[in-house]
Order: sequence, then structure tokens, then C-alpha cells
Amino acid sequence: MASPAIILIGTFFLVPLIMTFWISLHNWPLLGKHRFIGLDNYQRALNDPAFGTALKFTLLYTLVITPILFVLGLGLAMLVRRKVRAAGVFQSIFFMPVCIGFAAGSFLWLYLGQSQIGPLFDLLRRAGIVDRDSNIFAGMWTALLMVIAMVTWKVVGLQMLLLLSGLQSIPDEVVEAARIDGAGRWQSFLHITLPLLRPTLALVLVFSVAGSLLAFDQFFIMTGGGPSNQTITAVYSIYRNSFISFKLGYGAALSVFLMAILAVVSAFQMLLLRNTDHH
Amino acid sequence: MTRYMKDVRSSMPHIAWWVVCVCLALVFLYPIYVMLGMALKGPAEQGLIPPTLFPNAPTLENFSRLASVQGLNVFGNVANSVVVTLAATVGTVLVATLAGYALARAKFPGSGILFFLILATFMIPFQAIITPLFMVLKTLGLNNSLLGLVIVYVTFNLPFGLFIMRNSFAAVPHTLEEAGQVDGCGIFGGLRHILLPIVLPGVITTALLTFFASWNEFFAALILITDQDKFTLPVTLTLVSSGQFGTVNWGSLQAGVALTIIPCIVIYVLLQRYYVSGMLSGALK
Amino acid sequence: MRNRVLGVAAVVASLAMLATACGGSEGGDAGASSDAEPTGTISIWARDSQQGFMSELVKLYNANHKVQAKVTIIPASSFVQKLGTAASSGSGPDVSSIDLVYAPYFASAGALEDITEMADALPYKDALSPSHRRLSAYEDVTYALPFTAEASAMYYNKDLFKKAGLDPEKPPTTFAEIRDAAKKIRALGSDYYGFTFAGACGGCNVFEFTPHVWASGGDVLSEDSKTATLDSPQVTDALQLYRDMWTDGSIPSAAKNDAGTQQIPLFTSGKVGMTPLGAFAIPTMEKAKVNFGVTPIPGKDGSEGSFAGGDVISVITGTKNEAGAKDFVKWATEEEAQSFLAKNGSVPVRTDLVEKIYNTQGEHYAVFGRLMGIGKTPYSVVENPIFNDNNGPWIKMINDAVFGGDIAAAQANGQKAAQALIDGG
Repeated sequence: MASPAIILIGTFFLVPLIMTFWISLHNWPLLGKHRFIGLDNYQRALNDPAFGTALKFTLLYTLVITPILFVLGLGLAMLVRRKVRAAGVFQSIFFMPVCIGFAAGSFLWLYLGQSQIGPLFDLLRRAGIVDRDSNIFAGMWTALLMVIAMVTWKVVGLQMLLLLSGLQSIPDEVVEAARIDGAGRWQSFLHITLPLLRPTLALVLVFSVAGSLLAFDQFFIMTGGGPSNQTITAVYSIYRNSFISFKLGYGAALSVFLMAILAVVSAFQMLLLRNTDHH
Repeated sequence: MTRYMKDVRSSMPHIAWWVVCVCLALVFLYPIYVMLGMALKGPAEQGLIPPTLFPNAPTLENFSRLASVQGLNVFGNVANSVVVTLAATVGTVLVATLAGYALARAKFPGSGILFFLILATFMIPFQAIITPLFMVLKTLGLNNSLLGLVIVYVTFNLPFGLFIMRNSFAAVPHTLEEAGQVDGCGIFGGLRHILLPIVLPGVITTALLTFFASWNEFFAALILITDQDKFTLPVTLTLVSSGQFGTVNWGSLQAGVALTIIPCIVIYVLLQRYYVSGMLSGALK
Repeated sequence: MRNRVLGVAAVVASLAMLATACGGSEGGDAGASSDAEPTGTISIWARDSQQGFMSELVKLYNANHKVQAKVTIIPASSFVQKLGTAASSGSGPDVSSIDLVYAPYFASAGALEDITEMADALPYKDALSPSHRRLSAYEDVTYALPFTAEASAMYYNKDLFKKAGLDPEKPPTTFAEIRDAAKKIRALGSDYYGFTFAGACGGCNVFEFTPHVWASGGDVLSEDSKTATLDSPQVTDALQLYRDMWTDGSIPSAAKNDAGTQQIPLFTSGKVGMTPLGAFAIPTMEKAKVNFGVTPIPGKDGSEGSFAGGDVISVITGTKNEAGAKDFVKWATEEEAQSFLAKNGSVPVRTDLVEKIYNTQGEHYAVFGRLMGIGKTPYSVVENPIFNDNNGPWIKMINDAVFGGDIAAAQANGQKAAQALIDGG
């Protein structure tokens, strides 16, 4: 019964994946002849300052956005946990942006933050946070903040829902028992709820970290890598090498490199997940 | 009184809870409101500084511009999007349900490897394998065809679907299914009559996630389809909203965004009860 | 077990596929082309910026030719990538309109058919735009014919000039005059700006900034295009002008990350004095009812420069209907097609027709028609990564210099990165 899935994944995922490895061992321009060069592309990747910068920025982005999504997601999950009808309505509202595509969301927020004509810019200006002459997308940190705001708006609902499912799997009695034993609200959250939530937390972490490390659309559309190429992510850099400089071989090598990093990071997180399974 | 006590137990008083939730809801809805407002503004109003909160003179001009670009068949492209999205959704649900059941129940050789592969798909930058994927489709005669696009979407939505379906099946007690088999249903009969109703939320979740992803997908559609009549909506919208030398018509762009977002939101609102419970029962584990 | 077999099969299949993919561009031998009138169908690719006229143009062709053409519009931002992917696998169109700056790259990579013979036989061969002809040739073989043209010039707001006490009939002709005019317009009020440009758009600035350099007697690439000259003094002067206008406060902050989306709206808002753009903007400006004038982009001490942009049209390698494809390419340069294009915003690529079919449309058009003759274009197979790429060395240099201030460092970095791209081929 699994064979349709195996055939699909084999043909349209595994084969292209193997071909990517193969291409990465070549000098492979988009057009024209290619030749085998062994591991040269990998060696070059290690000494490529542009890719190094992109990698660093990607890590920075991941480090900043992961805790934000985490805390907000958990906060929202706690909020909508109430057993009143309104909680369900709010839950739906918080989740709504999840069904919007990344590209559509990026275009929307790009407009929101435009200097002068953008409604969000106008609000911030009225609140005295930005100058009428300023430009949110012209500074690296402000541009990054704008992207983070968009991503948070778009995906925090999914995190909320995943965490909510984890929260609901914790029997009420356990928490109540702790409370009867005299644990404060905060203490019981810290010592009972959070540890029991660990499998879900690990899962959410894997998704959100992998998603952040592969970030591309939002930067491509909202910042275009600017200002001064300071917001180019790893995938953005792969895209540029493959489709702007047409160096498919080098782009493939960078992809393999990124995959390796992701595999290590994810394996580490999976280990976290595995360990808690024994509880 | 006791009920009330139970509700408040979580953390904060009733009124504060309402205030916080309503404020957050406004924050979440604000961008969607702006998009709709902008899509309805006429050309003169779009560039006003500061921007207006409500469209002064609502007009459908932006939408009619979408439909009137010469040479482009926007409605045909919408039809393509609908067909591709529905086919990909049905395909993903079928394949994911079968494989999810197999993974959760029958132990077969290599099921571990398969599951590992599924997880690996999460970690691949899609842009990285698009060229080889293009070559594969070309070899199979599936490039520049909507069927090829459907297959690609099914493949790339399969992992999450499989994940959800496997966990949905895993959550169903064995005994229930065995009872069905004793009654003479057989494996497939058991799957259909007994298990499916229980895992329906999981199925709907998979379907909705595939629907959203396929409906919004741009990059693969752009690279794999070379015939204008076969374009899907996201590709067409990029064409419509961009002008020469990078100029952008913000009104048309937001109208396009609205056009892509509205079907998703409508479907979400209609099916959200199943969706949410599907996520709650399926994604966990 | 089934699994393992499938796995092996997948590997074998992938290798087989690589083998076929390695074959590169086969095809191409469409048989000896006969002299009979070509028939059949052809597919044509064009960019979204051409959607306004492309399908009408093809209709015009189809009306009195046996060959029937069908056009597909591709988003400009992904055009090179898409044509490259398709051509590399032999699934490209029969004919494609290509931004002329990309022509050397596609020609060098073997994606275009040799049409030297046909091009040399054209009676009006010498009247074709010189810049287009230069970029259509690669190693003395002609791979494309000129199709549409576009020149760059400076738009200025006559009303604002008047209000600021400047003579609206005497637009600036030197760097010093530009700066001075910008300052005076800026002084009209906090909403008013003297000048704007697309500070985060590589393609816009190769079109709108290099004319300053050319008009000052400099260049951005050496004659043989083997050396980048981003560190030349003429580039320094032009950067210094923009930097000065930025420190004067004459340029709005929106320019800093403008990827080309805000330049026109800012100008049509009626609050910006000057901005460099192409002929394509005339209809938008007229619709916005701005009282504007068009003047050549000046050099440091006068003189004028312009970028000769536009498209060339080529037969794509591997076409199954070479005769039909060639027929369309040839027709595209004839008077019927060029007259139609002239009415739809393109400067004619034939200097022998400019006077007759283009300049007659109005004074603004006449300026562009004249500039077309003096326009230049950088020739390089790595034009895209150096100049048009929005994350490339060219725009990074401009952005860093104008908004950062350390012009020398920005130029040195830009020069180094651009040269590395040329050497890395």
C-alpha cells in the first residue's frame, strides 16, 4: 500500500537528489558543456566569503525568530485553551494567516511597510516610532524586524495549534495534583507542564528551525537581499549561484552543504524527541 | 459557579482575557483588512500620503484590470489552478492515506528508511533540486504539462500528509480494526468502513494543507510550465502586477493577493472544525 | 525487498537520465531550408514588460503569413533562468525576444542559432541600431536581430522648476546644475525632493546611471570587455554627485531600497523634481497629468549620454521549424512591425525609420529617438551577475557609495567583485 508513495518519492525526490550530488561534482553551467572537477566546488564553498556571510545571517535569523515563535505560540496556546466558545473563535482568527502563501504574505507586508504610502508605516509614524522620512527596508535590522513580523504573523498560528495539541494531551489531574500539593501557578507550569510538553516542543522546534534555515521567499520579496546584501540567506545564495550566475554545479554543492548542516541540526533535535519518548 | 472557576483556573481574570484576545485578533486581522481595502481603491487613491483607512470610492477596477490584460487568459489560468490544486489534493490524500496506514500498521521491510526519507524531504531547499527535477520530468515527457505539475505537488506535499496520516492511524486502537476484520471486512474494507471515519479529521487536514500549498505554489509552476495557456494563478499574477523595469502596480498586486487568499480563507473557515481537530489529533506524537 | 529493488532502479534511472541530459543540445539540423514560403507553427517567448504589444504584434504577423505564431509571456525577473533551463534541455521556444544585454551570454552558451547569412542580406542592415548589432554578435557570428529599442533620459517636472525659480525650458546640463536644481526644489517644502533614483535596482542603474559616466567620457568596462573599470574617475564623479544630493537631503529615503517600484510613483506624485527613466514611462507620465519635460542625461561638464536598451530577437537552438522562425525574426525588423512597435512605446531599431514613424509622435519621443543613435550598452557575457543582479557588485557599489559615503572603498570593492566575475567567466 505504500508503493505509490515510494515510487513518487523515489522518482521525483530521490532521483533529483542523487542528481544534485552528481552535479555538485562538476563545473556545470546552465547552458553549454560541463566537466567533472571532483570536490573543487566543495573546497570553494568553504572559502567563499559570500556564502559564509549568508550562512551566518541565516543562523542569526533562525536564532532570533525561533524563540519569538516559540514563546508567542505557547502564549497563544495558553490563551485559547479556555473552554468557552469565544476561545475557539479567537483560535481560528490567530490561525487564519497560516493558509496564506509565503509569497502573498510577503507582498502584503512589503506594501504595509513601504515608506509614506504603507499603512503600517503610517501607523508607526503616527505613534512616533519612525520618522516621516525614514525607510524601514533601508536598514538591516529594521528590514529584518519587518520580515520577522510577517513570518510571525503567518506561522505562529500553526505553532499555537501544535502546542495546544500538546497541552491538551496533559491530563488535568496531573496539574491539579501539583496545585493541591501547594505548587504555585508559575511553578506548576515550569515543573509539570513544560516537561510533559517536551515531545511537542521538540517537534515544533524541528519544524520551525528547518523552516527558518531554509528561508528564502520572504527575503527575496521583501528585502531583495538588501540593504547592501546583508539579508541574503543560505537558500537565497544557492538561488543566486544557480540561476543568476548559472553555476549549477556550485549551487548544487552549496545545497549539499546546507543539507548536511540541516541534517545535523535536525538529528540533534530528533535525539531530544527520542529521549523524551521513554518518559 | 464551579464551571466559572474551572475556566479561570488557567491564568487571568475574564475581562483581561477578553481584552488581550480582542487586541491580538485585531493585530492578526489588520493586514488582511488592509489588503482588501487596497484592492478596492482606485488608482488615484492608491498613492495617497498618508494612506486612507477606508477606500473612499470602492471600485473593482483592479480586478477588472487583472482580467483584461491582453494575451493573457486569466480565467483559464484560474481554471488551471483549480484543476491542478484539486488533483494534487485528491492524489496526496489517497497516496498519504494508503502509505500512512501501511506505516502505522503493517511492518514491511524498509518502512524505517521510508520514514527517514519522508523526514529528509523537509530539509531540502526546493530550489536546489528544481533543475534535476526538470530533467526527470523531461525524460518522462511530463514537462510543460499540468499532470507533471500535479505529480510534483503530490510528491512534495506527501511528507506532511504521511506524517499526519501515520499518526492518525497510530492513534486508533488495534482492537477496533481487528473487530472489523473478524466481521469479514478484509484489510481494505476495514480501512474504508471502520478506520476512515475515525481518521477523517486527519484526511481533511492533509487535504487542506495540500490545497493551500498547491494553490499558492509559484516557483515550480514557473520553471516547469512553458506554455502561457497552462500557467497557474500565482505565475499569472506576477505577470499582471509587474510593469517595465520593476515598476509595481500596488493596487493590482493587492487585488491579485486577495484573489489568491480569499478562496483559502473561505475553505479554511468552512472546514476549520475538522482541520483543527485533525491537527490536534494527528500532528502530535 | 521491493524497496531495495526500487532503490536500485532509481539509481540506474538517474544515471541513465544524466547520460541523456549530458548530451547537451542536439537537434538543430532542421533539414536544408528550402526557398518555398515557410509554413507551420512557431512559439515565441517574450517578457511581461512586452505584454502590452506582443500578442497584437503576433496577430499582425499571423494575418498575412502562412506561419502561425503563438506567444508566451514570461515574468521578466525569471526570464533568463527559464529560457536557460528550457534551452539546456531542448524544450525552449522557436523564437525568443531577449533583453539585449543577455544576448552575448546566450550566444556564447550556444542557445541561439547562427543567422549571419540572413542578417547580412538585409537591405537596411547598416541602418540597424549599432548597439543592438554589437550585442547580437559573438565572435563575428550574428545570433540575433534588433527588435525593440529603449533609450534613457532625464525626466523633470516643469511646474516644480518654475516654482523653484528655475527656467523650465533650460533643464540642467552639468552635474553642478543638477545638484543646484535639486537643492532649490528641495527647498520648496518638506514634502518636496529634488531627485530620485532606484537605489536597489541594478538593471535600472545600468540604464540610468552609466549614461552619466559615458557622457563624462568614461566607461564601466574596457573596450574588449575583459576588464571592469568601476574604479575609474568618471564613475567617482557620478557617484559623488548622487552622494552630494543625498547629503543635501534632495533624495527621498525611499530611494535607498527602491528596486524600481517607487521611482515612477514618486515622480508622478508631482513632488519630485528629476528622475532618470526610459521612453517606456512617457504614457504613464502623460496619464498622471504631470507637466514634465525630457532632457538627455548629462556628463560632469556637459555632453550627453544614453543607454541603448531594448530587445533583440533570436532563433533558439533546437527549433523544429527553422524556416518559420527565421521568417518571423526577419519580419520583426521590417517597416510593418517596427511602425506598430513605435506606436506602442518602442523606439524603432532602424535609424532610417526613426524620423518617419517615431519622432512624429511628440517632442518627448523625438528626444528619445535622437538619443537612440548615441546610446551605448555594456557588452559582457557576465552582464547579468555584474550589473543587472540586484545583489551584484554594481548596485552594491552605488548603494554603498551614495548612502554610505565611503566612495573610494565602495568603488574598490565593486571593482574587485566585478573583475572576479569576469575572470571566473
